[in-house]
Amino acid sequence: MAPTLCFNCKEARALIIRPKNRHKLCRACFLEVFETEVHETITTFKLFYPGERVAIGASGGKDSTVLAAVLKILNERYRYGLDLCLLSIDEGIRGYRDDSLETVKRNAKQYDMPLMIVGYGELYGWTMDQVVEQIGKKGNCTYCGVFRRQALDRGAARLEIKHVVTGHNADDVAETVMMNLLRGDLPRLSRGTSIVTASGASEIKRSKPLKYAYEKEIVLYAHHRQLDYFSTECIYSPEAFRGSARTLIKDLEKIRPSSILDIVKSGEDMAVLVPGETNPNGKTCRSKAAAEDEAEAGGCGSQNGRSSGGEMAAMETQLAENEAAGSRETEIRLPQQPKPGSSKTQKPIKRQVMGHCERCGYISSQRVCKACTLLDGLNRNRPKTAIEVSASMDDEEISSTLARQMEHTQLTNS
Amino acid sequence: MPAKELTRPCMDCKDAEAILTTRKRSLCSHCFKLFIQFKILRRMDGHKAPPKIQKEYLPSKLLLPLSLGVSSSVLLHILDWQLERQRSNPHSRVAYQLHVLVIEPSTISPSNSSFDSNFEGLQKTFPTHIFTRLPFYSVFEYVPEMKELILEYAGPQFADDSSQSDEARLAAFRGSVSSATSKDDLDNVLLTRLVVAFAKQDACETILWGDSDTRLSAKTLAGAAKGRGASLTWQVSDGMSPWGVQFEFPLRDINKPELQQYKSVCPELSNIVIPDQPIPDNILTKNLSIDELMMRYVETQGAKYPGVMANVSRTANKLQAAGSDDPASCALCGSLVGNVKGNTGITVASQFGESQGSQFCYGCSRSRPEIKS
Repeated sequence: MAPTLCFNCKEARALIIRPKNRHKLCRACFLEVFETEVHETITTFKLFYPGERVAIGASGGKDSTVLAAVLKILNERYRYGLDLCLLSIDEGIRGYRDDSLETVKRNAKQYDMPLMIVGYGELYGWTMDQVVEQIGKKGNCTYCGVFRRQALDRGAARLEIKHVVTGHNADDVAETVMMNLLRGDLPRLSRGTSIVTASGASEIKRSKPLKYAYEKEIVLYAHHRQLDYFSTECIYSPEAFRGSARTLIKDLEKIRPSSILDIVKSGEDMAVLVPGETNPNGKTCRSKAAAEDEAEAGGCGSQNGRSSGGEMAAMETQLAENEAAGSRETEIRLPQQPKPGSSKTQKPIKRQVMGHCERCGYISSQRVCKACTLLDGLNRNRPKTAIEVSASMDDEEISSTLARQMEHTQLTNS
Repeated sequence: MPAKELTRPCMDCKDAEAILTTRKRSLCSHCFKLFIQFKILRRMDGHKAPPKIQKEYLPSKLLLPLSLGVSSSVLLHILDWQLERQRSNPHSRVAYQLHVLVIEPSTISPSNSSFDSNFEGLQKTFPTHIFTRLPFYSVFEYVPEMKELILEYAGPQFADDSSQSDEARLAAFRGSVSSATSKDDLDNVLLTRLVVAFAKQDACETILWGDSDTRLSAKTLAGAAKGRGASLTWQVSDGMSPWGVQFEFPLRDINKPELQQYKSVCPELSNIVIPDQPIPDNILTKNLSIDELMMRYVETQGAKYPGVMANVSRTANKLQAAGSDDPASCALCGSLVGNVKGNTGITVASQFGESQGSQFCYGCSRSRPEIKS
């Protein structure tokens, strides 16, 4: 049988079946199509301006490695004029992060980009290993996500960079849409789908140039360009809703390969329909709460569906209790209220107002930001006998410690 | 008088033996029926007649599309019971008139056998309503532009033979759709169009869909997965449809297993309901349609987490229809078209090139026959 020719150039032998649409392509065409799609995403949404300094949130994993590689190529090919650098977070997970950071250091050399590493240990006084030791293996992704969000912003601020790009891919966004449908969180669904999250209160803009790239194609791209990336997954367990959504998406992809894009599309369309989220173009999320939110919405992209189901069971219990309580309530109606048929009339939606955290100065809708609240909980339970810098510290002192620790953060030159 | 000796008294009336457990409460069949009826009638509050002292009142016409499955049959049973009570009460008036439309199941799926006896049973059990039965292919008669639409939608590969009967032409079109997902998707679109067109012709202001809560949650997830997120505001939420007919889903608080329980305590439904054909367990995931996958997902997860699954449809019901600058709607399914163009940047070897400026929406262009998926 004659070899199948590439769908694109019709010359070379097709080696790759594109997961997105099952077109058969040769290696060169696949790489080019992949890069061009990222380029089109960037130009369609005008993600960058010439001369912009951009930090690539690099974990050493496939997504961020491919992002760095593609951005470097596109920057040269299409003369974006970007000043790129790598920004890494050291969560302090032994056997996972220390190895992947080595990869990032190599990448920095390969792509000739400066690298900065910010550690949870120095920022918060807690590495993830210590957090897990304290609170167990369940629910620790919340800590990791909240901490990472701030750490990236602080790292970018340190480098005086106002734009961080992350390696979130189409699968991640689709997962977020499904997950937030499952847990009934419309505001987060709305925010999770936007390609750019900028907020009025934060200086730092986030974007996802790989938003329309399939995870499978990212892996293929990394493979065919023989990129140096680290493929071990985070050793701590994922959240149940995300796990369930992930399984569902894998099944959907088997049935109809375009499903992932279709979910992203649905998510974008639904974002406009979420009450209270005025998001006229559906592309740029202007929600002020987005800044502190995305960490959770994005997840860490390393979960694979292993799940305890604890979160779903907890929500189930909560919903059952709400319903039981509902039947014990007596509804009192005021005479002028609209008739029940028009149940669509909405109560005014409470808007979130952004301020700054009293402790660390990070933007927050609350008096104290999420990270500081989580730290409070951790520090309260830290055994007083242990020899720890922060063991005997009062809550009020944390902010100054945080500030001091930030001072020590160094720009690591590989 | 000594109390009755009951081994497991009903938690509500405490006067009869409980025969089933629902939402952690053991109830007798009477109290269980009341519970379900109450939940559904609360959803019908919008259709109340004014008190009798007021002047003339013409009951509104509501259309109930009946698939003869458990859910829509239970809905009919309960609405019939409500109307019966209104009729027998000298102080109240009948709030609405019920038109029941049955699209002949054998014309939708050949595996469904004749339902003549079910239809007869229906008319005997509920003699006060108006019943209509239509074959699926009458969509060509009720939606006259459909023949041309289908031709354009299916593209040049689809050979239509205008000399053939409507039945054959619909079969040819459905046969040209390759994947199970697209097939289910387009069937749903066509069925909706037929029901809506009938409702309009019959001057029914509202369509009461018999989707259980389970089904609504599955529809929400499947809609999102098929790129139809924008039309969830009328496909699973109560509200105005693109055709100016109100859509309502009175069963939205009751899940499928509860409706099965209800059916089991109503012997009169036994010769009406056509039992669901179970999806064989050994079918490969990739051969399921997205609708089937989601129904299966919600059913299995719902066994463990009924509240979480119910919450999905409740969440979708909170979405608000948006006013759009570009109100052009899809010629086929009625969703907004405006969104198709927003997809540059997704695929270079563009599947969308041809649908630029198309009259079909994103979801419909995904199910087009020539797009192999």
